[in-house]
Amino acid sequence: MDILYSLFIEPLTKMYFLKALAGGSIVAVVCAVAGCLVILQRMAFLGDALSHAMIAGVGAGYLFMKIFFGVEAAAGAMLVGSLISAFITVFMIGFVAKVSRIKEDASIGIMYTGVFAVGVVLVSVFGKYIHIDLMHFIMGDILGISDFDMIVSSVVSAAVLTVIILFFRYFKITSFDPVMAASIGIPVLFFKYIFTGCVSLIVVSAVSMVGVILVVGLLITPAATAYLLTDRLEKMMFLAAFFGFTSILGGMYLSVWLNSAGGGAVMLFSTIQFLTVLVFAPRYGLLADLLKKRKMVPQQVIEDIVLSMDKSGVPVTPEGIRMYMDVHHKVFVNALNQLQDDGMISVSGGMYSLTDKGITEAVRLKKAHRVWETYLHYMGVPDNELHEKAHVLEHFNDSTAIDYIYGKMGYPETDPHGAEIPVFYADGAFCLTDIYGFSRQQVEVVSIDTEKDIKEGDIIKVTHEDDIWTAEKNGEKIHLTEEEVSGLTVKFL
Amino acid sequence: MENNKEYAIQVRNLTVSYGPKPALLDVSFMIYSGELVGIIGPNGAGKSTLMKAILGFVKRDIGDVYVFGKPVEQTRGMVAYVPQRGTVDWDYPVTVYDVAMMGRYGHIKWWKNASREDHEIVERSLEMVRMSDFRHRQIGQLSGGQQQRVFMARALAQGAKILLLDEPFAGVDAATESAILDVLAEAKKAGITLVVVHHDLATASEYFDKLLLVKQRLYAAGPPSLVFRQELLTEVYEGRLKVFTDLIKA
Repeated sequence: MDILYSLFIEPLTKMYFLKALAGGSIVAVVCAVAGCLVILQRMAFLGDALSHAMIAGVGAGYLFMKIFFGVEAAAGAMLVGSLISAFITVFMIGFVAKVSRIKEDASIGIMYTGVFAVGVVLVSVFGKYIHIDLMHFIMGDILGISDFDMIVSSVVSAAVLTVIILFFRYFKITSFDPVMAASIGIPVLFFKYIFTGCVSLIVVSAVSMVGVILVVGLLITPAATAYLLTDRLEKMMFLAAFFGFTSILGGMYLSVWLNSAGGGAVMLFSTIQFLTVLVFAPRYGLLADLLKKRKMVPQQVIEDIVLSMDKSGVPVTPEGIRMYMDVHHKVFVNALNQLQDDGMISVSGGMYSLTDKGITEAVRLKKAHRVWETYLHYMGVPDNELHEKAHVLEHFNDSTAIDYIYGKMGYPETDPHGAEIPVFYADGAFCLTDIYGFSRQQVEVVSIDTEKDIKEGDIIKVTHEDDIWTAEKNGEKIHLTEEEVSGLTVKFL
Repeated sequence: MENNKEYAIQVRNLTVSYGPKPALLDVSFMIYSGELVGIIGPNGAGKSTLMKAILGFVKRDIGDVYVFGKPVEQTRGMVAYVPQRGTVDWDYPVTVYDVAMMGRYGHIKWWKNASREDHEIVERSLEMVRMSDFRHRQIGQLSGGQQQRVFMARALAQGAKILLLDEPFAGVDAATESAILDVLAEAKKAGITLVVVHHDLATASEYFDKLLLVKQRLYAAGPPSLVFRQELLTEVYEGRLKVFTDLIKA
């Protein structure tokens, strides 16, 4: 009990901890919500740019107040300065990308390091006047958060959150489909500026807590974590806010326990949180992906089961089928289930048998196998390799390919082993699109759905050339559509 | 020719420029209500500028664009835009319903929520394109044809009578292509005017009632048989045309 108390409760009794928790949460939540829009618009780099650029503003603001008013470390001026430098950076990024052949990513790289450098030089040259701890600026100090920072970040967060909620629809549509948004009269550019302004504000207010380097993480990581879990922007924002809060909470405890820098602990926790979700997310997680892949039954296994069941000809037990299969038990069971779902097999009293649909499928496969074997035989493949090669080729799920091969060989009646190449359904009828080799003789129509002059019982001869189906009846030629042919079943006389 | 038909789009002497060289020069044409029109032309010919002009957000140097007889500026939202497939972020966390609802955004006041009427309109639009059953699906988890239907539903919800499609057939497989053609045919049957920016000359004559051949100027407008003339295509496509000679013969 004592351990639990000192681990979890004791930190809560410390004022600095509570203050950091409150201030950090406010900033983190708003960062996360805005971060959703940032990652969806692929602006992740922008947060980085803004946070670095502001040191120039901080330095300039400091210097300005010191020289003209003699005020030391005027927080307000530094804040305004950093906002100004953030805006200048954003403007320069857009400007360089627009007027030159430099693309935006390179432009960001140039401008933010440039403005950051201005800041660094400013601070070091005027080191005598400016008492800014660069280290503090870079690493942040969430545990030593000042009252002023607290007030500023609260006001900024409230303002930004209000803007995002108020204009949520417009942020959504301008980030999803800007052209459409413009076409219905939404000022796309205006909202882009507003949003950039919002991001600048929250970045500036967050830097004092987690530092320049980690602020991007606060912006991106919780939002990205949420992105893995949901398919709706509204939910994503709520979840991101939640993860933002937990990042601060978990990170604060971590920092107390490990006695580490606050900002680092926060981002460490946030990143671990992200990685955990990345692995375990129900839909977009790695584990779910793996399971999905494992659940998928290879078509080959399914087809092999159908064939072996057809071969036995009588209802069999799963073990009976299993004997001929060289697959993992799990895969086998999944395959049987899928076959049952597809209506290919039926079960009664633990015995499995093929349904009519299953038998048709078996005929199709046998046909494909034998056609390929015959073809390979013609191609001069040695007899002892025929079966294995055909076994691979038969799983091509392309009826026209087999039709073509079959036709090219002149519709042989048997394969090289002397086995008949089947053309029938179980009841003797077959559908023209499923079974090949129909055009060599006359057939009787078993069923057809057409307005044209063909009905059940008619004797016709069907040809399929240049993608045109023609039925010849009493010397009269009738064209059939693809749709009519797929509904047509016939049998040999 | 058909006096009883109204004009959906009239473009008169339109010139648009971005720099010293005009992107579009003195382009005039009319599109009747209910027509299925393809805009064709080589890369950089001003097809997308023309599209933006019809949507009303390009600065015109000279000329007018009228939508159903009214200046285009006053008809915001009458022309619905269907984005190019490649430019849509299919991983964006929006559902089918969300996208259809975007069609209403132009109608909802910014301080208000979607009204019950808006929801009803969205439901009806989804039903019309037979996407009601998919309303909670994220848009990335749909087939190509279904994705096109979603944007069609958005256009219907928007209340648009004219649909502007930006290269709907770019980079789709054959099955999706035919699915999209079905969607277009249905929209046409419903009396919607369709304007399609199209890249593939080989299919253009087969898909559209009317073609606009654009390269800075409007080289031809009319039924495919009229537009697909050797001398015209040679001029517009310059050397790259040998392949299409068979096409013209056919």
